[in-house]
Amino acid sequence: MSSGDSNLSADEIALYDRQIRLWGMAAQARMRSAKVLLINLGSIGTEITKNIVLSGIGNLTLLDDHTVTEEDLGSQFFLSKENVGYKRLEVTKDRIQELNPRVNLTYDVGKFKEKDAEYFKQFDLIIGTELSTLETIELNKITRRFNIPLYIAGSNGLFAYIFVDLVQFDAVDEKLKSSVPVEIGRISSNKEVIEVNVRIDEDDSKKIYEKVTTRHHYKTFEDVLQAASLKDKLNRRQLKRLSGAVPLTFAKFNLQNNQACPTSEELRKSMQAISNKFGVPVENIKDEYFEQFANQSGIEFAPVSAVIGGAVAQDVINVFGKRQSPICNFIIFDGITLDMPIYEF
Amino acid sequence: MAGRESNIVKIVGIENYEKIRNCKCLLVGAGGIGSELLKDLILMQFGEIHIIDLDTIDLSNLNRQFLFRQKDIKQPKSTTAVKAVSHFSNSKLIPYQGNIMDTNQFPLHWFNQFDIIFNALDNLAARRYVNKIAQFLSLPLLESGTSGFDGYIQPIIPHLTECFDCTKKETPKTFPVCTIRSTPNLPIHCIVWAKNFLFNELFASSITENNQDEQRLEDKQDWGTEDKEEIERIKQETNELHELQKIIYSKDSSKIVNILEKLFIHDIEKLLLIENLWKTREKPTSLTLEHIESSKKIDVSKLKLDQIWSLEEQIAKFINVTEILMNRYSIEKSIEFDKDDEDTLEFVVTAANIRSYIFGISMKSVFDSKQIAGNIIPAIATTNAIIAGLSSIVSLRVLNLLNYANVKKPTDINMAFTSKASNISNQRYLSNPNLSKPNCNCAVCSKVCRGVLEVSTVKLQTSTLGELIELIRTTFKYPNDVSVLDVSGQRLLADFDFDDLLDKTLEDLKLGEGDVLLFTDDEGDEDSNQFRKSLELYIAVVSDKSDDYIKLPSIEVPLIEKIEEAESNDMEEEINIATNANEETIILIDEEEALELDKQSKGKRLEREDSSDKDNIKKIRTTNTIEDDIIELD
Ligand SMILES: [Zn+2]
Repeated sequence: MSSGDSNLSADEIALYDRQIRLWGMAAQARMRSAKVLLINLGSIGTEITKNIVLSGIGNLTLLDDHTVTEEDLGSQFFLSKENVGYKRLEVTKDRIQELNPRVNLTYDVGKFKEKDAEYFKQFDLIIGTELSTLETIELNKITRRFNIPLYIAGSNGLFAYIFVDLVQFDAVDEKLKSSVPVEIGRISSNKEVIEVNVRIDEDDSKKIYEKVTTRHHYKTFEDVLQAASLKDKLNRRQLKRLSGAVPLTFAKFNLQNNQACPTSEELRKSMQAISNKFGVPVENIKDEYFEQFANQSGIEFAPVSAVIGGAVAQDVINVFGKRQSPICNFIIFDGITLDMPIYEF
Repeated sequence: MAGRESNIVKIVGIENYEKIRNCKCLLVGAGGIGSELLKDLILMQFGEIHIIDLDTIDLSNLNRQFLFRQKDIKQPKSTTAVKAVSHFSNSKLIPYQGNIMDTNQFPLHWFNQFDIIFNALDNLAARRYVNKIAQFLSLPLLESGTSGFDGYIQPIIPHLTECFDCTKKETPKTFPVCTIRSTPNLPIHCIVWAKNFLFNELFASSITENNQDEQRLEDKQDWGTEDKEEIERIKQETNELHELQKIIYSKDSSKIVNILEKLFIHDIEKLLLIENLWKTREKPTSLTLEHIESSKKIDVSKLKLDQIWSLEEQIAKFINVTEILMNRYSIEKSIEFDKDDEDTLEFVVTAANIRSYIFGISMKSVFDSKQIAGNIIPAIATTNAIIAGLSSIVSLRVLNLLNYANVKKPTDINMAFTSKASNISNQRYLSNPNLSKPNCNCAVCSKVCRGVLEVSTVKLQTSTLGELIELIRTTFKYPNDVSVLDVSGQRLLADFDFDDLLDKTLEDLKLGEGDVLLFTDDEGDEDSNQFRKSLELYIAVVSDKSDDYIKLPSIEVPLIEKIEEAESNDMEEEINIATNANEETIILIDEEEALELDKQSKGKRLEREDSSDKDNIKKIRTTNTIEDDIIELD
């Protein structure tokens, strides 16, 4: 497929009809020329793959060296019983391509850890799933070096997170003009409005829109781990409502040994340190919550993956399509209450 | 445990996992949300899933309905979806191609086999219907919907939390006749004119039928004007249009120019004579014969669907496509507008654009006009995936399978809707308010109690109406003075001065499967001025029980304050406003968000995907649920 051609064919317009009506032909054409790397095809990886392949991303490389296990069958819909014991990519690649024959798919069964930095340079955007804290930090160093947007997602049973590092990103949002005009300047710790234009609806001159360009500043994963805190950011009521998943997710990131299933004691100790740093009273985190988080640590749960994979894929599409502001810079999802706040760490 | 169940067991525990394996789900819809839900429910290891869809697969579904391929186009969605998931499914799956509202295929007792219902529907009528069924059977329902980036899920626990109809839903836009026929000022006005008026006048089956329709409807119209002169002109114009249909009959393509002249020159000139109309408006400028003449040089085969054509190109294409339709008409005898029928779409778009030009309105490409004419709602994979995922996750709480997050009261459970993507907040991806209690003014879930009366075939023959009333009175604590109405048959069965039928058996009274009885407290309690709430009972005849089996629903019928009888239309209005206000408060969960909340964005939530293929459009027409279409008020 020629990536330089910005005109969509009649077939593409018919196939992508319902989404072009949302983000326009130009965004669809830009997506077609994009080159994305997805690391690890687990439950969240599968969901992201499905969504961005359906949406018509131009080129997708999947990097995964895992072998299919019995457990995978409960969280990954590309797999069937006969696939157990084979390489994940080998047994899923036909099913992925079937989703959308127009997408250029590349399968790499190499090890993530053995790839040198130059390997990553070829991509416009990288998505990492099922990565440890150290792996994430290493990957983030590389994406910073080459100025590549990075998405990281993972889950612990009913709890999940998304980290985004687009380095710096200008997004244009269009909204109906309200009585209070948008002013240029910093609007939050990571965002500033740099340009405001007014557009009048050509069909209805009474409708006046403001096109607001917002510059998003991002931090690296390592910096976020160091800087993340909720001190002075939440009022008493918000603090009371805060999901235990927030400090617990960070407690797990901060564990020295960095394994998928830490012991309960290790996690508790880390949680106490994080609570302190975040300014969250440790008694806010109920024992039941703690136990469940520890119990579900490292587990993939299909519907949670659907939510997280949907949110990551949508943001990736928005970044390529230059539509809507991207996530900046951290999401923590609590599947019990469906709480899904966006933090600017 | 290391198997496909190991993850879910860690989340819900082994006992609750067994409950999931024994759980029977009804999934209504196999489209965008339905495909995603089917996958999620299977991976959660639900034991049995029945999936229903009326539709067949269309090309425009493939950007999101990930279970379908190019080769599946025109196949039924339900059966194709079930085949597509078989490689990863460990659940018993039963597909049905049918309309969930078809009581022959899906009678009430059929619904009773399920533990939970998931709605993944694309229209209001079916959502309302399933909601009502859930109320009758006290079945938990997970309602959901998406439109572009926007989506919502709402768990409904009958009698305990808000039902689908507790809040007023957005109704489709309508326009006054005068705006459509005389004074358009937006592209949509011209498209409605071309589609709902012009196209029908020219290509509907029979002239006489149309005339009758118009006679019947004429008095009820919202003309949007008091101007007698203008109303007369509109009526006359309609009559003259019937003359134009004769040109279509004639199959004489040289006369298509006459259609153009009539619509875009003579009618506009007449319109200009009504001076009142143009005192505050820009006057239209009619087409000229030169325009029509110069359009003849144009090669219509080169026109692109995503571009805005010039006026001459619009005229050339109009002539070209009218000729095609003329020839089709002589064979098909009647042509209906269908957004996926290129000829009908291009006729409507070119006619609308020429009219737009005349009225100084901007013209639109075929691609953009199709969205308005076909009432297409944008739909993407990601929103559907998120919404289906949320619906699946929250089902664990609705079924109370998370021991560590025990549901003490149903209002502990959360609903959710997109927040960031819908421009409501930048601080949260979702808004997740707790469920509300039922709206006490809701006609579906609150004004009456509902339940199923199960009765054996023998009992139906032996039990008298008097005995049944006595049983209901004692069970639900009604006073002596009750009235009983046969809702299905629209007849009174008993009240304080009508006791003739009390000795008749239920069978004598022709009561049986599917009939609905309404019990009303006519006496009340004088001291407290309270009344027992009315009770609607659906009769279900069971064959596998003992001869004297009769079972009332295990619900409580509460006492309520007396409601004034005389409820005028004005009061209904007020109730609606109150309901709206109520809806607002649900969403105001955070003071910060209250400021950001855009009232408009909420209305959009409650939408549906488009109903895509021809069959569906026809069915919608025949069942008279045109509420999903943009309609002119006539
Ligand atoms: Zn209700």
